[in-house]
Amino acid sequence: MSQLMVLFTILLTVGAYLLSKALYLRYRHPLLNIVLLGAALVIATLLALNIPYQPYLPGRRIMTSLLGPATVGLAVPLYRQRSLLRRYAPAIVAGVGLGSLASMLVAGLIALAAGLPREVMLSVLPKSVTIPFAVEIARIHGGSPGLASAFVVATGTLGSVFGATLLTWAGIRDPVARGLALGTGAHGQGTAMAFMEGERQGSMAGLAMTLAGITTASIAPLMVRLLLSH
Amino acid sequence: MKKKLQFLGQVALLTGIYLLGNKIAAFAHLPVPGNVVGIILLYALLNLGVVPLEYVQDAADFLLRHLVFFFIPVAVDLMNWGSVFYRYGLALALAILISTILTFLGTGYIAQRLQKGEKPCPS
Repeated sequence: MSQLMVLFTILLTVGAYLLSKALYLRYRHPLLNIVLLGAALVIATLLALNIPYQPYLPGRRIMTSLLGPATVGLAVPLYRQRSLLRRYAPAIVAGVGLGSLASMLVAGLIALAAGLPREVMLSVLPKSVTIPFAVEIARIHGGSPGLASAFVVATGTLGSVFGATLLTWAGIRDPVARGLALGTGAHGQGTAMAFMEGERQGSMAGLAMTLAGITTASIAPLMVRLLLSH
Repeated sequence: MKKKLQFLGQVALLTGIYLLGNKIAAFAHLPVPGNVVGIILLYALLNLGVVPLEYVQDAADFLLRHLVFFFIPVAVDLMNWGSVFYRYGLALALAILISTILTFLGTGYIAQRLQKGEKPCPS
């Protein structure tokens, strides 16, 4: 019975992924987010069948077992783009560094001022970085992986809908700067938008996405200590 | 058949580097996740030529193409968190909105300043 349940939850999740992806590819609208839509389909099905969260866990563990190796694979595009990395080093270091710092500091201070519970506040800190980093950063500092992934998707959706307009409005027209901002502020979803603007913007966004994850993970311990000391 | 085995070997290599990253992070009591250590490790191995790109690129490209799939089971955790959005929705929306705007502007401005020498191209 429990093995059937594992099989069912995995097939359900794969089906939800394929369906959401097909919908996204068909309409290409940033609001049709594959992660949120897929998770909503899975949750709705579980609720409709009166299946609680616990029986989903064994399948979840199997499905996420390749997430770590996949994340390590992000070193491959980083390596392929190493000449860009060297060429634009000052803009990349300063842009990604400042953006990552600002993202955590501002989100953390607002969460603190609004009196959010500690676990929720710690989950909102890594909201600008791609999910595999955000989930781990939240987890090791005492936040919730599920909440962190939702905040990441909210940020990415916001950034992919309004990011390009905001940058144009602010007079930021340099393609390298635009790519870096889209990748640092809105991770993979911003990177997808950057690729629509052009190859250069997309490559820079991809670099920024990975580097923002590494930077955010590295400064998170200090940020958490700073925010919790109040 | 040979291609499939090669592919599995590549996945195994990525997994090995990931596990090694976790071990290093745990052993050295690093306050950063093991996957971050794993990326830095693989990037260093590629640059040093210890691991040639051909040893990992097929598996990495495949897994990255379907990266979004792995996020869905994580997001299903939200099933347990409905009340948080109900109670703290406004504060969370403000935190995410303001922080995201400032991140975009901060990164964009400073990167553009440092790029001033470069001619912007019209795309």
